[in-house]
Amino acid sequence: MNWTNRFIARTGKLAFALSPMLAALAIAVPAFADSSLTATYQGQPIRFTQLSSRAGAPAIGVNDPGFLALLSDTGAFLTWKSGERFVLITTSVPTVASFAIGDRRYDVGPISLQASFAPFLVGDEAYLPLREVLRALDLALREENGVAVLQPQLAALDVRQEASRVTLFAHGGATLHARIAQESPTSITYAFDGVGTTLNGTRQTGPGGIGNITIANVGTVREPITLVTVQLQPGTIAEAPQNIDGRDVLLAFDGSSEMNSQQTPGEEASPTPEPPPDTTPASGPAIVTGVTVEPAADGVSVAIAITGSATYEWHRLREPDNRFWIDIANAQLQGPPIDQTGPPPLLSVRVRQVDPTTVRVAFSLSGPKPIAFTSLADGLDLAIGTQDVAGEPHSGSGGVGGTSAAVAAAPLEQSENGTGSTDDTSWKFGRRSGYVANNPRLIVIDPGHGGSDVGTMHGGVSEAQLTLDMAKRLRAILIDRGWEVKLTRETDADVYAPNDSPHDELQARDDIANKAGARMFVSIHANAFINSGPYGTTCYISKPDDVALGRIVESHLAADGTKDDGLVKSHLYVTLHARMPAVLIETAFLTNPGDYALLTSSAWRQKVAQEIADGIGQYAQEYPAPNQPAQ
Amino acid sequence: MRSPRLPILVALLAIVAAGTWFYFSHRGPGAGETIPIYYTKLDGKTLAAMRVSMRPRQPDESAAERLHNVVLYAAVQAIAGPPNDVQAIRFPPGTRVLDASVNGSTATLDLSKDLERQAGGTFGENGEFKALVYTMTGIEGIDAVQILVEGNRLETLPGGNVELDQPLHRSDW
Repeated sequence: MNWTNRFIARTGKLAFALSPMLAALAIAVPAFADSSLTATYQGQPIRFTQLSSRAGAPAIGVNDPGFLALLSDTGAFLTWKSGERFVLITTSVPTVASFAIGDRRYDVGPISLQASFAPFLVGDEAYLPLREVLRALDLALREENGVAVLQPQLAALDVRQEASRVTLFAHGGATLHARIAQESPTSITYAFDGVGTTLNGTRQTGPGGIGNITIANVGTVREPITLVTVQLQPGTIAEAPQNIDGRDVLLAFDGSSEMNSQQTPGEEASPTPEPPPDTTPASGPAIVTGVTVEPAADGVSVAIAITGSATYEWHRLREPDNRFWIDIANAQLQGPPIDQTGPPPLLSVRVRQVDPTTVRVAFSLSGPKPIAFTSLADGLDLAIGTQDVAGEPHSGSGGVGGTSAAVAAAPLEQSENGTGSTDDTSWKFGRRSGYVANNPRLIVIDPGHGGSDVGTMHGGVSEAQLTLDMAKRLRAILIDRGWEVKLTRETDADVYAPNDSPHDELQARDDIANKAGARMFVSIHANAFINSGPYGTTCYISKPDDVALGRIVESHLAADGTKDDGLVKSHLYVTLHARMPAVLIETAFLTNPGDYALLTSSAWRQKVAQEIADGIGQYAQEYPAPNQPAQ
Repeated sequence: MRSPRLPILVALLAIVAAGTWFYFSHRGPGAGETIPIYYTKLDGKTLAAMRVSMRPRQPDESAAERLHNVVLYAAVQAIAGPPNDVQAIRFPPGTRVLDASVNGSTATLDLSKDLERQAGGTFGENGEFKALVYTMTGIEGIDAVQILVEGNRLETLPGGNVELDQPLHRSDW
């Protein structure tokens, strides 16, 4: 699911917007009369020695050893050099918190916020507003019995729905452990030990299966507990909490039995359609993430930031009641209601969740002013003019798009799945080179890696071994079919020299094909990833001459038993520097159990070799070299 | 008789300065700007974009400094990638932007050596650089990206596949 389109009740972000209010709450916060402070984080003391203050709020020097230790402990890091305007903190989420010297505004991910004071310089040292930095790290500074505590926060609770399954995605400022504190047929309460929160309150949710969510903070400053109580619809089953990546916990609710229980007896349940992969659910609520009012040259500019797709209706009353409002349907308001006074001619703005699925943005104007709407991919812009007008329409409607844009993976739009008919002379980066092989009967096969470079090692199997095996199988088949074949390596050895540079090694492989004037160059590899998820066969090409060969070989490999990941253009050294048509074949993923089983099967490797040979043969037939003898 | 014009002028300047200070110190968070940060989905091919907020250009920020700041910001965002719950091809953990500079329309990004800790295979490397190049070349005025590792220009990453000794363009993908 795309993060910018997910169905969110990310109330954590409202904590940023509420910062002045929260500061005024009866939360014990240390005073900052001194330039140093020792605070406890996860039971360990952290001493800040470069503290300052502005506007009564603490400021921390970015090179403070305690601050740097805290960043490290929380999995965050700093990007800043003396003289730079931007001070960037990448958190473990990851989210980038961006501060700028001299500017109170700062950005956290997609949200722009205002700090209690602007970051400033003292000599070459940048000082940041400490509370805002801590919030970006999902921490809060608290005090108990004179001891300062950096309390991890339950910082966000995202609500998502996929078909009949609702999930709450909890993110915290420390490793989260969710235990079930209380359970009944109508509600379930999870306890998050060791984290506090500023998300207290009850939130209505739209998804079926669950009702209101109530968040409460109990425990002490040093040993906080956050309780999350979820109301359950009849028949909804709460699954066991699932810890994901330490600081994230998934709470899942299956409402399918609830749906079934509402069916007429004897009526068959219609199958729940699988959501299309990698697409935004059309019915997913949009999120109104903020409303910004700014003076403009000819009036006022209002930006309503909306994540996801939504429709809206607007209405205006007749003079002398100069109010108008926009109802954004199928939407959730992220954060608290907004009340703001605006520069003339705007008197006030109010933003409310008026019902579970409608966000209303209401304006009061000083007169019958013209309003121009502009629908954007990520929201709605309004331009409110200063001159009174008559005869303006009193209602209207429109829609806004999502904030996430899937980008076509140019330039292989048609041939990426191997079924298109892309003309290999139509590539946008150039035409074929007109290469003519000196030896049109010669195929150079490059078994990837070897010698001092084993490639990927997994389960005691090296990529270098597998590629050499497949290359030899392919060679045997091609020779049987009348081709001359040269391998860039015959044994488990480096082609250039042991422990050579990647450039020397790859260029040595290309040199073998280039010097021999080979007809084609085929590099065989096995893929890998940091987890076992991805699998499949992918053919990579890099230049116009490669397209037809890659497309045809890929089409033969499409039914090799694993997923067909198609043909992909990339900027790969070994295919770029081979003068002849070249293809790099990532046969399968060593890191995926299914693909691993295939790769370690000699029968499968033989099948792959056969399919590559078939592709080479078809290519030679369809694209005969001018000087190619008949096969 | 001494002219009263100077005190009046000083008073007017003081009023303008105070007004300017009041305006800039009391206005709410601005709409700012958003820029697209691309990441490659786990199919290894499809790009998706997340939009992140960015401060608007400041009055004392020259065009050159602005471009530098946007490049640095976008690079840090692209290397960080989307939140962990989003399925995406990611740069190796710990990879950082050590420096960012702009020469003509080429952005040069100096990345930490953590970049070299690739999983192996073309899949991750291709997805990482494709998304980074799309992000950087989405910035107005930037059409190429030169990658450095700890200040050094590499032909490829160790055991890697993508050629890095020349600036990368969108058309390379």
